[in-house]
Amino acid sequence: MTTVIDVNGLVKDFGRVRALDGLDLTVNHGEVHGFLGPNGAGKTTTIRILLGLLRADAGSATVFGGDPWSDAVELHRRMAYVPGDVELWPNLTGGEAIDLFGRLRGQMDHARRDELLQRFDLDPSKKGRTYSKGNRQKVALISALASDAELLLLDEPTAGLDPLMEAVFQDVIREMKAEGRTVLLSSHILAQVEVLADRISIIRQGKAVESGTLSELRHLRRTTINVETAKPADSLAELPGVHNFEATDGQARFDVDAEKLDEVVSRLAEFRVRSLVSHPPTLEQLLLRHYGDELGVRAGGREAQDER
Amino acid sequence: MTTAADLPGEPPAANGERSRSFAGTWRLLRFLIRRDRIKLPAWVGSFGLLTIYLTNALPVAYPEEDLDSLSGLFADPAGRLLIGPSYGLDNPTYDRLIANGYGLYFLIVAALMSILLVVRHTRAEEQTGRAELVRASVVGAKAPLTAALILAVITNALVAVVITALMVAAGHGGGGSFLLGVSVAAGGLAFAGLAALTVQLTQFSRAAAGLAGAGLGLAFALRAGGDMTRVGGNTLSWLSPLAWPQQTAPFVLDRWWPLGLSFAFAVVTAAVGFVLSTRRDLGASLLSTRTGRPTAAEWLRSPLTLALRLQRGSIVAWGAALIISGFLYGIFTESLLTGWEDLPDTFVEVFGTGEENIVTGYLAYMSVFMAYLAAAFAILAVHGYRSEETTGRGEPVLAAPVSRWGWLGGNLIVTAVAAVALLAAAGAATGAGAAIVTGEVAYVWELTASHLGHAPAVLVLLAIAALFFGVLPRAIGLTWAVLAYGIFFGTFGGLIDPPNWLFDLSPFEHAARMPLEPFALAPVAALTVLAAGVAALGLLGFRRRDIDTT
Repeated sequence: MTTVIDVNGLVKDFGRVRALDGLDLTVNHGEVHGFLGPNGAGKTTTIRILLGLLRADAGSATVFGGDPWSDAVELHRRMAYVPGDVELWPNLTGGEAIDLFGRLRGQMDHARRDELLQRFDLDPSKKGRTYSKGNRQKVALISALASDAELLLLDEPTAGLDPLMEAVFQDVIREMKAEGRTVLLSSHILAQVEVLADRISIIRQGKAVESGTLSELRHLRRTTINVETAKPADSLAELPGVHNFEATDGQARFDVDAEKLDEVVSRLAEFRVRSLVSHPPTLEQLLLRHYGDELGVRAGGREAQDER
Repeated sequence: MTTAADLPGEPPAANGERSRSFAGTWRLLRFLIRRDRIKLPAWVGSFGLLTIYLTNALPVAYPEEDLDSLSGLFADPAGRLLIGPSYGLDNPTYDRLIANGYGLYFLIVAALMSILLVVRHTRAEEQTGRAELVRASVVGAKAPLTAALILAVITNALVAVVITALMVAAGHGGGGSFLLGVSVAAGGLAFAGLAALTVQLTQFSRAAAGLAGAGLGLAFALRAGGDMTRVGGNTLSWLSPLAWPQQTAPFVLDRWWPLGLSFAFAVVTAAVGFVLSTRRDLGASLLSTRTGRPTAAEWLRSPLTLALRLQRGSIVAWGAALIISGFLYGIFTESLLTGWEDLPDTFVEVFGTGEENIVTGYLAYMSVFMAYLAAAFAILAVHGYRSEETTGRGEPVLAAPVSRWGWLGGNLIVTAVAAVALLAAAGAATGAGAAIVTGEVAYVWELTASHLGHAPAVLVLLAIAALFFGVLPRAIGLTWAVLAYGIFFGTFGGLIDPPNWLFDLSPFEHAARMPLEPFALAPVAALTVLAAGVAALGLLGFRRRDIDTT
């Protein structure tokens, strides 16, 4: 398996603010890589460095084995990019923008363009200034997806899309993957990345805190359950696959590994369930639970340094 | 609905309907005043500065004994084209000169101020969606437009007070000063009313301001045509909202009744605006938004053609403005020919030549003057590249296989070619104007050449702005200081007689002053090489820096 993106110890400062603090990231050929982190973690900065729009202060980054800063133009022929905040020219139509980006890249499949316009339900004859955020995002998505780029860099590409369009987006990404293209998909919502990604890197405060396949990161796929029972459910805490169990007068709250969910739910019935809520853990919960303490200490230390 | 009306203290439902649609007007007005607490004092203050400048500068520039000589300039057809009906300028005094010679420019500033004020607080608010938040609270449908118009009345009233007070303070007659002040305010309000109407027509604040601005342009053209035919103007003049305040002729006829037309125009246009505003949804417009082409034109395929597409609107607008004003400046040649013996000495000093050469001196000065304007176009274009970068529109282009050199270079080539073409067009238009009044066709190519002679200086300014863009993008604005320096020494240098090296620092002082002097190759070549070198440094700098996206 060849490596498409290889990032080691990347550092980027904006004045006194350290946006990237020794980031590592590896994306292999043909995979959809989830790039997960809260807002402000450094995802966009990383992508801009990979595009040669920003220059790293330390560390190394290669794309297709090339230097994203000095080989930018050559590398861009093989890449397509969708920014998180798409800005369009107010007096150019969406169709004009899509065509322009296609021609700048050199090749565009017109049938594919028209097919995508239809699937994403976008009117290409409207001027840029009249599009909503979601529609501007569709313009950037269509021009990226209609290209034959080998690597797609998508920065929170569905933030403005409704669930229906989100589903279309997921279909298209699966098609891309089937064609053997590589996708770096950044997001701050775990559920979005989970359905598409082969591997996930979690980034926080400019550093990768965890990276691996979904099954390697099994703790990410736990379900959080809040349950109210007639009989105290304390004995659940002993079951294999149950984590972080907390109980207070008739209410219990715990996480369950995906493989043990069936078993645990069937045991729950014994306690006479009155109400039950289950949801996947949010990224924020995960970060807090798994890396919270360590980061808390580090953040505190940094503040102390800043005060000096 | 009934429960709300039945609450104690609420007006009964029947006439409550009307008062509710204005609910919140006063609170909104106080909010607008707070939002404009810097802008409006600056606008009103600029009228004060203009008044102070005129009351002090005119007696210096034209001593008492030279005053009569101005009547030729101001009362001739070409003069009237630019300044108005010229009441009382056959026998000028300082107060007549301010009110009837420069009054039109007070009016244009008041009109622009009023248009921008109304658009800013109505359509711009709707376009950005802020109006939705405001209207969702206890604010009636008519309250935002009402508050904006009340603010326009207050602001224009302050303008009247400032002009009157400063004129009286400078020793001019109270009656005429007051009439001048109120005339300017009335002119402003007419355009506030027009803007209240245009903001109902389109969905975008820029288009609404543009429509009202086109109305201002039409008003200028109507009165220009009318005023040119004879002193006092003709029927054509009376069709123009810009003419009515001028027809009051302060310090000459001192008549108030033409202002009735201004106020009636303001009331009628604002009333139509109110009626239209109640018949549309929030954010909607009467003119539907035009859709464009669903696919890009075949030629839109490179950073160079994208730059052309993005700068096209600005190039066309500047071209139209420079061609029209050049033509007018050319026509003005005739007034100089007939009246040069009577010209005050300051004219001769500014045009930098002996009296026998006054016309060629004037045309040489107009060539460099147009170069200042072309340089302003070029600097604004570089500000435009910067906003492409910071708004994030440049980012996806640079993420395509487009090099930094290609992106900035494409933009610079378009701006450079456009600036040179603008100069050539302005020169040809000036020459055409001069040729029509003098009968000498040679002026057309002579002036085209003389304007083009200053193109290298314009390119140097463009290159300086590009250098800032590449190396220190926050400082692009400093290029304006270089232009201001050039304008100052080019215009007033002859009057103050500074050492030569101060002149040499300005890029505009090196080219030969054609048609006064013969063409000289050396300065043109040197400035062009300098411009290319400085621009290359800017390109190098841009290749090495991060892209800023805010």
